[in-house]
Amino acid sequence: MESSSDKSGPLAGLKVFELGIAIAAPNCGKKLASYGADVFKVESLGNLDVVRLLGSAWAKDDPDKSRILPDTSPYVPEMNAGKYSVGIDLKNEEGLKVALELLAQCDVFLSNISAAALVRLGLDYEAVKQINPNIIYTQLPGFGSDPELPYYRSLAWGPNQSPLVGLDSLTGFAEDPPAGVATTAPPDYMSSLHALVAILAGLEHRDKTGRGVHVDLSQFEATISLLGPFLLELDVNGHEQGRIGNASIWGAPQGVYPSCEPERWIAITADDADSWQSLQKLASPCLDNDLFLTQQDRVENAQVLDQILSEWTSNFSSDDLTVRLQSAGVAAHIVATNEDILNDSHVMNSDFYKIAPSTRLGRDLFSGSAIRLSDAPSRVRNAAPALGEDTREVLEKFIDIDPEKFKELLAAGSIFEMAEPDLTFKRPWDDWIHILIPGSEDARDVL
Amino acid sequence: MTQPYSGLRILDLTGIAGAYGTRLFASLGAEVIKLEPAGGSPLRQLEPFLENAPDKERSLWWNYLAMGSKSVVVDPMSRRESLQALIQSCDVIFDDQLPEVSKLSDFNISPKTIRVSVTPFGLNGSKRSWKSSNLIAWAASGVLYTTGFVDRPPVAPGGPAQLILHGTALNAIIGAQIALRMRKLTGLGQNVDISMQEVGLSMAPEMGVPMLLDDRVHRERTGNRRDLGRPFGLYPCADGYVSIVVLMPQHWEATAKWIHEETDNDTILDDVFRDPSVRTETKELLDAWVEELTMKKSRLELFEEGQSRGIPITPVNTISALANDRHLAASGYWETVELPTGESAKIPGAPFRTNQNWWESARAPFLGEHTNEFID
Repeated sequence: MESSSDKSGPLAGLKVFELGIAIAAPNCGKKLASYGADVFKVESLGNLDVVRLLGSAWAKDDPDKSRILPDTSPYVPEMNAGKYSVGIDLKNEEGLKVALELLAQCDVFLSNISAAALVRLGLDYEAVKQINPNIIYTQLPGFGSDPELPYYRSLAWGPNQSPLVGLDSLTGFAEDPPAGVATTAPPDYMSSLHALVAILAGLEHRDKTGRGVHVDLSQFEATISLLGPFLLELDVNGHEQGRIGNASIWGAPQGVYPSCEPERWIAITADDADSWQSLQKLASPCLDNDLFLTQQDRVENAQVLDQILSEWTSNFSSDDLTVRLQSAGVAAHIVATNEDILNDSHVMNSDFYKIAPSTRLGRDLFSGSAIRLSDAPSRVRNAAPALGEDTREVLEKFIDIDPEKFKELLAAGSIFEMAEPDLTFKRPWDDWIHILIPGSEDARDVL
Repeated sequence: MTQPYSGLRILDLTGIAGAYGTRLFASLGAEVIKLEPAGGSPLRQLEPFLENAPDKERSLWWNYLAMGSKSVVVDPMSRRESLQALIQSCDVIFDDQLPEVSKLSDFNISPKTIRVSVTPFGLNGSKRSWKSSNLIAWAASGVLYTTGFVDRPPVAPGGPAQLILHGTALNAIIGAQIALRMRKLTGLGQNVDISMQEVGLSMAPEMGVPMLLDDRVHRERTGNRRDLGRPFGLYPCADGYVSIVVLMPQHWEATAKWIHEETDNDTILDDVFRDPSVRTETKELLDAWVEELTMKKSRLELFEEGQSRGIPITPVNTISALANDRHLAASGYWETVELPTGESAKIPGAPFRTNQNWWESARAPFLGEHTNEFID
């Protein structure tokens, strides 16, 4: 496990002012932090990030722990590891002043709250530009920042974005209602990734021109960009792509097949000639059938093919068959449950999950970055900050706030600090985590 | 106009797992060169084809994802020196093979070059040589298992939209962009390693190890509604489906009032239903009441009236609904692309806007169109 206290990195020195809720902006800020940026997550008690409200199962029913609930959800580090939490009431005049002073020192502004809310707070681009003309101002609300547009005031958060951008109607078997994308929120992540592309491009732009930029990202538009081939198809061929279950649009077979165990499935893709041959050989003689001679035959007879393949896969355990198929050169994987991921030694030995110190929890566990740089491993200063944990440090260090002034602002409620700093708890897994996460004992050393 | 990546040269050997990333690079000013075999990039083989006529210039995947790039076809044996010079001149190389089987394994690569690999399970570990696809990557990340109805097999999120592959391509461009920042400091390139499985995991903490260890709850398929409250999820309407997500008290009040007004339902106004857990416990009843309203109206009627009542309700859009969406029409989102037949077609425009006019798009190249620019 890498030392997580090393503060260098490719983005060292970059300062980011984040006003983020849930996933889209926070996930982007988390990635910037993991490559060395100082990311200031500005949080208000009156309008807490939804991940602060979720809490954790083990803390919810315990009155002792209810006071620290905002620091306990595993989503907090998932979206906010490595950041500073700065407690400022932005609706308070003095609070806003402090925020603007901090913002004046920053390279990047990052927010996914609604464009109308940013205007109300006085943190829209035109306002921020006045105090920081060269800022890379990045906003990624649902529908962009133009108040003249039809959906400007529409409510579409989290679970509503996938249906809106067309992903839910593409999900499911043709004969069923749309199954929807319930477990994850692709529009949030895809918008987050596009925002990161824009911010990093903004740094190049600033190097070249000396000027900042206003990045106006509509989650609606960014996600639909990924559906380009289908929209092009509708326009030029008049064909509308609908939901087709797990089938491939390029060949057959592809699907989710049963194993000999209940509710244990195997996903298989053999939609090109080479992998078909390998599959046919492995399953011989089940698939030696005149119905499946050419690619076109297999597509036309996909239903029969899936039926025969299902009968064959039902003879095997899911793990065993996955290994047999991959060894033969056929793309396959068990349809992993969350327990399977814990037992996936490839993942668990890859250092994808990170452990870092946490003021509230001693140490905490969270997903790392899917971007592995050979000369700049992602590393973070801490897991997630407790709510308001870094208010004093950040304001002293970055805007040189006077201690008297700090006290005044605190007393007036314009800013706030971490509640109950001495109250610490361990997560339920803390005593035996080293059994599960290779190298995790080392995290004790950096506490 | 100054584009952020003007002056940068990128060599792209990938298929869908890298193409969206190099497409963004090209639109932001970089010179993107697709190094293609004589038969064309695998992207050119992907149907659907323009007017359903299979041809290496007519794949719609190619025509969208290769926009703004250049095409070079070269025989690595007879033109080895020119090819070596081209490879040596690249700032970034996108590859989708393991290094030992890469087409570039016999060539020298400059220490200044950033090598981006997009592979199924990453460059290291026990599954490094396993094969994958969009479906397999969803399976390996846990998301597939929890998508669909509990009495039906798991089903791919976004179906054929190849979301994990596009997500991989986005992570790839970001890795390259970060490595470029670092090269400014060190003068050196490095390797960027993107695993499709990890891309899936990084988009689904719900299925991840930290969540499981904290609450020890097995995640199951929940169909198109979720038991966090009601109404929550997809509901049929007169011409399709709508999505309603009611959690907040004010959203419930507005929803109950609307159902009452439209269906003469007095019971729904009872205070007991203000509690989301009560609504979840009585979900069959609640869902039936909601459908009495939704089945009377169209997607757009429900969207417009519901939103004006302050309820988070949206249409479940199909591809044709998106093509006809009034917001997208008003925002100037769509742009046109020139097709190999000379006609033009409507496609999604820039995924984000800037006040600095970064975005510039151009059609996809013909096979070998730019070979002479780079190969003697």
